[in-house]
Amino acid sequence: MKSTKFWIVLIAVLLCVCLAASILVLGGKTQSTTAHLYQGGALVRTIDLSQVNEPFSFTVEGPAGSNTVQVESGRIRVSHADCPDQVCVHQGWISNSVAPIVCLPNQLVIQIGGSPSETEIDGVSG
Amino acid sequence: MKRFRLTAMLLAIVLLAACTPAASQEHTASLFAMDTVMDLSVYGEQGETVLDGARELIQELEGLLSTTREDSEVYALNHGETVALSPSTRELLDRALALCGDTGGALDITIYPVVRAWGFTTGEYQVPDSQTLAALLDKVDCTQITLEGNSLLLPDGMELDFGAVAKGYTGDRLMELFRQSGIASAYVNLGGNVQVLGASPDGDPWRIGIQNPDGEGYAAVVEVTDQAVVTSGSYERYFEQDGVRYGHIIDPDTGYPARSGLSSVTILSQSGTLADGLSTALFVMGKERAVQFWRTRDDFDFILIGEDGTVTISQGIEDSFSFPGEQGSYALEVVRR
Repeated sequence: MKSTKFWIVLIAVLLCVCLAASILVLGGKTQSTTAHLYQGGALVRTIDLSQVNEPFSFTVEGPAGSNTVQVESGRIRVSHADCPDQVCVHQGWISNSVAPIVCLPNQLVIQIGGSPSETEIDGVSG
Repeated sequence: MKRFRLTAMLLAIVLLAACTPAASQEHTASLFAMDTVMDLSVYGEQGETVLDGARELIQELEGLLSTTREDSEVYALNHGETVALSPSTRELLDRALALCGDTGGALDITIYPVVRAWGFTTGEYQVPDSQTLAALLDKVDCTQITLEGNSLLLPDGMELDFGAVAKGYTGDRLMELFRQSGIASAYVNLGGNVQVLGASPDGDPWRIGIQNPDGEGYAAVVEVTDQAVVTSGSYERYFEQDGVRYGHIIDPDTGYPARSGLSSVTILSQSGTLADGLSTALFVMGKERAVQFWRTRDDFDFILIGEDGTVTISQGIEDSFSFPGEQGSYALEVVRR
């Protein structure tokens, strides 16, 4: 019986360690709703979209003009761009890390979460 | 009792294994090149050095192939100069001309003047009148490109743009570089062109989402190893005038934006150049011709998303294709040989 007890304790300890490790590794990373704004490759602003209660907007100046960024609870978009092609405006709202908003002329990138590896897919073709 | 002990030991081993962190080291780089954003991820200890080489390679190719940089080979060709082609430009030209011929001109690297007339090169969009288009289309014909030895002089008025294949070719070259550097696992996203080397670092295939052409998120997921996954559609680069939407993919036959009933075309192939070129060509062809074309080949698979919401895939990816959990609004058709 002594050895049975030993195994039970060992497994219980291991379970606790694994649980703690899982929380450390995974905690906070799932369902990340933090938007990162990069300009010319440098991080210029971070916004936790889950903490946004009142919608707001602001402009970002770049080499080709300005972008107006609009923020609401859980989502973000570029609502106006000076650049002629309007690709970033056409993309509309984003609320997950699937496809970042990119305004090439202004070298502006808006990415939610971190790398795509935090989600269930590794990347997006589009 | 013995049995219990054995079970307990097995359980302990499994739990311990679950706690072991993955050993692979990720190295990433992000850069603006070829009018787009490029993300590179390589796994392995020598990652940083390999990424430096990758950056150099991308700059080198952009320096050769850019239509706007005055010191590029393509710029010289487009301005009436005879150019002794570099090995890279030559290789890409040969592959592009082969695709041009194979697709009956649905992919044509000489369409550039027409694309420019629509304003897609500058963003100053306009609908050209039919006479302008007819005059420009006269100069669009990839079969008129003939090399003398290794030097090329374009016919008068013709201009080249490798835009439909350059990123795909860059992907191929990056995979070659990674492989030669002893990297076993890598992922690159060259402005939406995905290409992967090997399997993902955890040993499973890479899971690649296909951008939803009708809105946010992704419409489908494919699992791939050693593949390029390239999607073309008119859902991002387009303009509207008088209620009509004009997409950026021009049909070389008509000079007008291709309207073939497809929202997007994804090509999966071991060759990034092929996947890139064919994603454009099959978008121009439309579903029926695309399926016919696929039946004559064995070097790619496809995902066609129709404007009517139907999804058509080729049989080769039947087992690796899935819809993401919550989005089941598409009807799926599998095409067989």
